[in-house]
Amino acid sequence: MQSREEAFMARVQSGEKVEVMDWMPDEYRNLLIKQIHMHGISEVMGAYPEREWVMKAPTIRRKLALNAKIQDEIGHGQMLLRLAEDLSQPYGRGREDLMDDVLDGRVKFHNVFHLEAPTWADAGVIGFLVDGGAIITQAMLLGSSYAPYGRMLKRIVAEESFHMQHGESVVLALAAGTPAQKAMLQGAIDRWWPAMMFFFGPREMGASSRRMLDYRIRTMTNEELRQKFINRYAPRIQALGVSIPDPALKQDPATGQWSYTDPDWDWFSYVVHHNAGPRSADRLGLRREAHDGLRWAREASLQAARHFAKEADHGISAGYAGL
Amino acid sequence: MEFPRDTPVYEVFAQREALSFPTHVGSVRASSPEMALQMAREAYFRREAAYDVWVVPESAITRAREYPEVLPVAPEEKTYRLPGGYDNAPLWKRFKAEAQTIEQVAEEMAAKKEGRS
Ligand SMILES: [Fe+2]
Ligand SMILES: [Fe+2]
Repeated sequence: MQSREEAFMARVQSGEKVEVMDWMPDEYRNLLIKQIHMHGISEVMGAYPEREWVMKAPTIRRKLALNAKIQDEIGHGQMLLRLAEDLSQPYGRGREDLMDDVLDGRVKFHNVFHLEAPTWADAGVIGFLVDGGAIITQAMLLGSSYAPYGRMLKRIVAEESFHMQHGESVVLALAAGTPAQKAMLQGAIDRWWPAMMFFFGPREMGASSRRMLDYRIRTMTNEELRQKFINRYAPRIQALGVSIPDPALKQDPATGQWSYTDPDWDWFSYVVHHNAGPRSADRLGLRREAHDGLRWAREASLQAARHFAKEADHGISAGYAGL
Repeated sequence: MEFPRDTPVYEVFAQREALSFPTHVGSVRASSPEMALQMAREAYFRREAAYDVWVVPESAITRAREYPEVLPVAPEEKTYRLPGGYDNAPLWKRFKAEAQTIEQVAEEMAAKKEGRS
């Protein structure tokens, strides 16, 4: 006889969707929590490198756009954390716990957000390549077997459309600019390209990523995503007159597959696992400052919620009658 | 205490399919949430199917129109926040590369998925 787990697997593999209150194997729940928690925290931590450039953006319009993008990313973090919280209910873990996890090193965030963004071109290339890569991953996840994730990603991808155009706009302006601007763009591409090769994960996926594929939480392999990315971005970068820092980058005309030089897997994965990148400590410091600095506001909020619940319980009119 | 003459009002939200969002369709009166679901089925779903239906006590809903200061309005120009605020295509063309939209990316990723299964 088919076990409950096997029946569930058959259901998701036939394209059926799962909701938060449906029965699900612990393994499925835990994989979802891991994926969505990491995704949500990465949205939040992704705001920090760009935040450095809000004050220094070259025009008021660029400043408004960058600020708007950061607001979106924090919004995405909040939407995704809500999903991770709903899934974490059986474990009794809520927002406070999930936010503590990043400060205590219990949840990772994307390699790219541990790196330096020393020039305005970096701020543009983050929108161009990092958002570009994230859009490819998120568009793939629209087909996830977990319906609340698919629905939320529909909203997120709609907003990412502006991030994509904004990033390209900054990069195009620099590419059409002075020799100094072009050199600045080249420097940023040199910095971000290897990081983007790591972004999609190892060529051979780990055990839990393969399980996510089985459960249709995701629908493509790391390598498929990376190939989509290279295919979309390498020709565009080269058209801008910027070189890609990889002599091995080449498309096989027969298969369409791109060959590329492996990023420094060990270094990047050490950075991600130990928050040991050049800017990890600074950005986590800012996160801790925000988290600790606003603790009083969260506590006041809790007090107010308790007060409101009590008032609603007694009925406000009953309260007045007592006066 | 006077006994109310009517049962409470529940607002009804329906979701057409797994990846769509619940939309308000109307309201019903009922004695309990379960009864409200029954009534909603009678009142609003005599023809079409639904993926899910929500009923919410009317009293649980707080409406922004009653608090105009929090009602989202867009008085100032916000094109910097919208994809349409950027005209990248002519520049891409100048560099002899193709402009791209997020819809094209989503389409490409969805096409690949169907190919797999
Ligand atoms: Fe985002
Ligand atoms: Fe984004």
